[in-house]
Amino acid sequence: MQHAPAVHQAETSTGIDNRKLLMWLFLASECLFFGGLIGTYLLYRNRSEGPPFPTDTVYNGVPYSGVFDIPFTSISAFVLLMSSVSMVLALAAIQRNDKRGLRAWLLCTALLGMTFLAGQAFEFTEFYREGLTVHSNLFGTTFFVLTGFHGAHVSVGVLILLSLWVMALRGKISAKESLNVELAGLYWHFVDVVWIVIFTVVYLIQPT
Amino acid sequence: MLALATVLLSSPGLKGFFENPAYLLGIPLAVLGAIGLLIALSPVELRWPQPGPPAVAEAEMEYVVGEGHPTASTYVTVGLILFVITVFEVIVYYVDALSGALLGILLSLSALKFLLVVLWFMHLRFDSPVFSILFAGGLTLVAALLLVVLASLGASLV
Repeated sequence: MQHAPAVHQAETSTGIDNRKLLMWLFLASECLFFGGLIGTYLLYRNRSEGPPFPTDTVYNGVPYSGVFDIPFTSISAFVLLMSSVSMVLALAAIQRNDKRGLRAWLLCTALLGMTFLAGQAFEFTEFYREGLTVHSNLFGTTFFVLTGFHGAHVSVGVLILLSLWVMALRGKISAKESLNVELAGLYWHFVDVVWIVIFTVVYLIQPT
Repeated sequence: MLALATVLLSSPGLKGFFENPAYLLGIPLAVLGAIGLLIALSPVELRWPQPGPPAVAEAEMEYVVGEGHPTASTYVTVGLILFVITVFEVIVYYVDALSGALLGILLSLSALKFLLVVLWFMHLRFDSPVFSILFAGGLTLVAALLLVVLASLGASLV
């Protein structure tokens, strides 16, 4: 274990920082938010009356190609996963008061997040060209709502990361304020674990 | 919980069970009761609220940032494990010989990735157990929600 510099931390009646407690409460509520969306997707899966379908399907005797591109989405999932690594390295950097490391890893995380969003925009565009919209069938509605809300969360995360990066550039984050980075990190890792679930349940596991 | 399990086993099926509103109303209470039971029987000691030390001048205070958190090398190691698991997931998806066990393998690998991120990157393994209880509470409610909705409306994972 490394030894970090001494800093100030507010006293609370619980012995736990209130901001961190609030973030965990928020994340627990977010579990229910995404749980509802994933449940809705599962509920209506394989009930679309007409193409496009997520995977290769024979419908009314006519074969249809699936819209999912697993290799591409795997790379997107990998990018988001690696952004979690860079996020936690940013936290480790500021906890040892390495401000240069913080700036580098924060920017790296934000760029990886933007890469993920670009991939999602590309995927959505391809799906649209293949005839899948939020109105086309039950698959389109539930898929776009679920992944769209996840993308919105990633977008908010990128904005938070860029804000922190600007603050770091202006020298406003030191080991004393490392909790700000930790809270942003908690949000970012949560967005990542939600994608771990979505990637497996929506993309990889298909009804037989 | 025993009564709930008995009712579940004696009912004509999960769908029949969830069609009865009287049972449905009892589920949230049973879930809360189960959480309470787990907390009560947990060997983990909850440090809840402790009186703070007397106020001293800030210059004299001793605080440590990230106390007990892993080092950067540990994070990189966990990141490499996550990378390997993701590659394995995609390989498993394309291997026809494993199609019979695909669901089990993918769910297990996904759960492993989830746990690695939550325990190491989100520091639940190192931080106060209060955070773990909060998060586990949210996940338990999600599990209950999915069980009720999917079982009562006849959906499944496969």
